[in-house]
Amino acid sequence: MIQTPAATKNPIYFGWYVCAASIFIGFVAIGARNSFGVFVVPMSDEFGWNRFTISVAAALGVLVSGLVQPFMGQVFDRTGGRKLILISLVILGGSTIMLSLTFHVLFLVFMFGIVASIAQGGPALSNTAALMSRWFRRKRATAISINSAALSLGGLVMVPFSMYLLQATNWRVAWVGLGLIVLLSLPLAYFFIHERPSQRGLYPDGAPEPPPEAGGGLNEATGPLEVETWKESFKSAPIWQMAASYCVCGATTFILAVHFIPFAIEERGISGSTAATIFGYMMGLNIIGSLGAGILADKIGGTKNWLALVYLMRGMAYILLITVDSVAGLWIFASVAGFSWVATLPLTSSLTADVYGLKALGTISGITFMFHQIGGFGSVLLAGLLFDITGSYTLPFAIVGALLFPAALSAFTIKERKYSTRYQPAVPAPAGGD
Amino acid sequence: MAFFFNFILAHQGDSADPELLHWIKERRDGIFGPAPLIMVIVMGFVVLAIPISVGVFYLMQANRRAAVEPSVDQGGTERGDAP
Repeated sequence: MIQTPAATKNPIYFGWYVCAASIFIGFVAIGARNSFGVFVVPMSDEFGWNRFTISVAAALGVLVSGLVQPFMGQVFDRTGGRKLILISLVILGGSTIMLSLTFHVLFLVFMFGIVASIAQGGPALSNTAALMSRWFRRKRATAISINSAALSLGGLVMVPFSMYLLQATNWRVAWVGLGLIVLLSLPLAYFFIHERPSQRGLYPDGAPEPPPEAGGGLNEATGPLEVETWKESFKSAPIWQMAASYCVCGATTFILAVHFIPFAIEERGISGSTAATIFGYMMGLNIIGSLGAGILADKIGGTKNWLALVYLMRGMAYILLITVDSVAGLWIFASVAGFSWVATLPLTSSLTADVYGLKALGTISGITFMFHQIGGFGSVLLAGLLFDITGSYTLPFAIVGALLFPAALSAFTIKERKYSTRYQPAVPAPAGGD
Repeated sequence: MAFFFNFILAHQGDSADPELLHWIKERRDGIFGPAPLIMVIVMGFVVLAIPISVGVFYLMQANRRAAVEPSVDQGGTERGDAP
């Protein structure tokens, strides 16, 4: 039964609890994954592995998590997501604990590179962004941007926690500790991860009445490009425009994550700690940038305009990075680039939901995420190759930086007013309601 | 190929950058001191507090609502009990 307006007088909409649970799940899942780097030295020391050997597990993990995401998205769309997230968390927590039993590198490769990496795809941000899209319409970008903060928080809190846990105990106990923390998110997920507001007799955003476009029921409004399957979405222009620009996003963030500090030290002549400070400052700003982009897109509208602006800002930052040969230039670059780092995620996810609807959103988001990862790996390899040839990062930074301007144009030319459900005229509600 | 694997290892996540981790650790040590066990307890408490706070907050809200609206919706699911 759908609650009357009086019954929905709950001060806090249940969707925000779903959002909070989703943040915590992302926080521990991403944190457990990113902590792998902390375990490299103690595990290598104990087993006598070299860096290359242990890198196979990490590399395979990155590859598997990128490739598996569209399939996890499809499972999410078909099953609703709740069971997928719960089962994935059990497997992720269990496999993390199992890493404490590592006795051979193949065990590590299998458990971290395959089992944990596949499980990671269940509560991945592309899926939880799709979940947020079901619970929120007017505040969709805001909710996704808050959810995206897990990406930064997971690394900034869980990785140092793993480091201290390792120092206080040993690597086996530390893996068990991390796995238990992942399992700790299970009760929260069980109680608060619900697939749709209608399951709790609510409407998106906690609205007292159904959205007018929905014809009086609990279904989402439909836009002209709303799809039943992901294949249909790739027959239209907006998804290609978003995927192409998201690919450039991956290229321009991965290359910085890998090469910024060496560039700052070797080509700008600053110390390692200053370079790390600037990088840390940039990572801290990405939380503010992500939140700000989501809130602004919901309040003022024009998601594609904000997305274009983010790419344009990042492009300008790259110009500064290449042309201004000073520490001040690096700080200015970090300020501009930091705001734009994660901001593309909530904007792209909410725009995808607004244009293509919710039925295949998990799969579509998983595929665009794969484009992002492909762009990232391509750029990092290109940078390594060009650095070996030219002895400088200037050329690869210039190439990927230049791509940001067509990416901005690609985002700007998305016909959001024509395709987004936010701009569709309200249709009169047929009699009968729900 | 070795380069490819090594960069992933060193930079598989933004926050897992070794230089950045070192910097974060130095800053935290400056504030709390270098004792790892104390840091584990403090940070573990913070991590544990998040799900507990969400659950407690939900129950408080639900109980308050149940007290104000004892019988709003006989068939509804939004009652004062657990979600």
